[in-house]
Amino acid sequence: MSAVVPLTIAPVKPSALRTNAARTEPPLIRWTLIGLAIAFIVLVLIFPLLTIFHEAFSKGWAGLRTAYSDPGTLESIHLTLTVAAIAVPFNALFGLAAAWLITRFDFRGKRFLEVLIDLPIWISPVVGGLVFLLLFGRQGLFGPWLIDHGIKIAFALPGLVLGTVFVTFPYIARNLIPLMESQGRGEEEAAISLGARGWQVFLLVTLPRVKWALLYGLVLCNARAMGEFGAVTVLAGNVRGLTSTMPLQVENLYNDYHLAAAFALASLLTLLGIVTLILKTFIEWRTRRDLAAAVAEDDSLSEPTP
Amino acid sequence: MSIRIAAINKSFGKFSALRDIDLEIRPGELLALLGPSGSGKTTLLRIIAGLESPDDGPARIEFDGIDVTTQSAYERKAGFVFQHYALFQHMNVFENIAFGLRVRPKKVRPPEEAIAKRVHELLELIRLVPFAKRFPSQLSGGQRQRVALARALAIAPQILLLDEPFGALDARVRLELCQWLRAFHDETKITSLFVTHDQEEAFRLADRVVIFGEGRIRQIGTPEHVRTAPADDFVRNFLGFGEDMHPGAIV
Repeated sequence: MSAVVPLTIAPVKPSALRTNAARTEPPLIRWTLIGLAIAFIVLVLIFPLLTIFHEAFSKGWAGLRTAYSDPGTLESIHLTLTVAAIAVPFNALFGLAAAWLITRFDFRGKRFLEVLIDLPIWISPVVGGLVFLLLFGRQGLFGPWLIDHGIKIAFALPGLVLGTVFVTFPYIARNLIPLMESQGRGEEEAAISLGARGWQVFLLVTLPRVKWALLYGLVLCNARAMGEFGAVTVLAGNVRGLTSTMPLQVENLYNDYHLAAAFALASLLTLLGIVTLILKTFIEWRTRRDLAAAVAEDDSLSEPTP
Repeated sequence: MSIRIAAINKSFGKFSALRDIDLEIRPGELLALLGPSGSGKTTLLRIIAGLESPDDGPARIEFDGIDVTTQSAYERKAGFVFQHYALFQHMNVFENIAFGLRVRPKKVRPPEEAIAKRVHELLELIRLVPFAKRFPSQLSGGQRQRVALARALAIAPQILLLDEPFGALDARVRLELCQWLRAFHDETKITSLFVTHDQEEAFRLADRVVIFGEGRIRQIGTPEHVRTAPADDFVRNFLGFGEDMHPGAIV
């Protein structure tokens, strides 16, 4: 063989490295699509959001103050907080139990249970409310017996709670299951072998490891609970001063042509949504770290230098 | 402590992981459970620890002559070192090692100073004193392994069970830890069982080797004995001298 032939490499323009022409659309299409997306976001998200606050402040601070001194409105805020304070912890308890059951044990009907937990997401809240009405209403299956014993569920606070629990049922369990699945049982078994009882394993190992995912679920569940409309309208009937939660009160005020008051209350609900979004983003960032750590733990068994 | 195991069966669904296992482990012995993957050795280790229960039947597990078959894992208090260490990710090294002492019922829980002293002793033993405040994610594989060992030793267990203790480590660290474990065992004489699929590791470390195949014990004996007199074709094949491996076969 002859002498080594030097390898020649054609010079590459730096710009060619940055954008791969074959994978990029022409500028016209690109900018049309981006423009359309922005226009859409402004139209359906930002514009309505601004309108809410604009309308809420249409009569200035004084208008806002009158809106929030209305007893019906105050009662609706109180009621919403009460319902959330019952429904959210209930679902937290259920969600933790269900996630634990599903990720730590094998049993017949496990997949079915998982599907069942998702049910409220797929069913219209109105249908959910209707079903409970058929069970607990005056003409319902258990309604007459319950009413005879002085327990009123439909068109009362228990109905509000029941409807809300139904709608927000999946949120916490759904957030915990993937994380707990990826974390596995190893650490819990280690705790048991070191002499920890069941409750110690739960408090010292299971709970700290899922705390961010749990918090994430709580925040979503709470937002959903406070904003619920369909199921509670059907089941609790929007009885003014008795079962009108914030979203229902917004409708009441609107129907009574108290536009400024309706928007004032709506802006409070919106603020709740925005705060939830901020919290959610922060917690999402933390849970992703937990999940990444759970995955990294499996992979990082090679030897990094100490 | 001595361990006696009798008539252990275990199946997962239709798969039979262990069949009629009888085994006696002498006090102070270092025993290797050796076999190909899926041969049931880890399952047996977990059953001894109480992390898994044997199938219903005449199964019996005795620690020093005391029947522990129905005891739960936290009652048996076997020191268990998991294959992937299973360190508590949200606790630092100190807290990981202290865990077994902290979860004791109030009456038998040592005071804080005693816990700190014990943890410090263990950190010295595994030569990780400067790493007490680190989290598991900040440690190398070999360091994690040592923390897992210290954590298991903190509860002063009567038996030590190790599941593929060196499986995930590179060759150099593996050899170091192997030697360390042997020296540690010679000093403390704590009855120890370890699971491995690496025959060299088993032969180098163990007093006796138990060879598993398809859920059954194929042979029990000293490394010498197993090597010179394999009990059957399975053992011979597993150890790598099958019929077609006569020295003369390759010319």
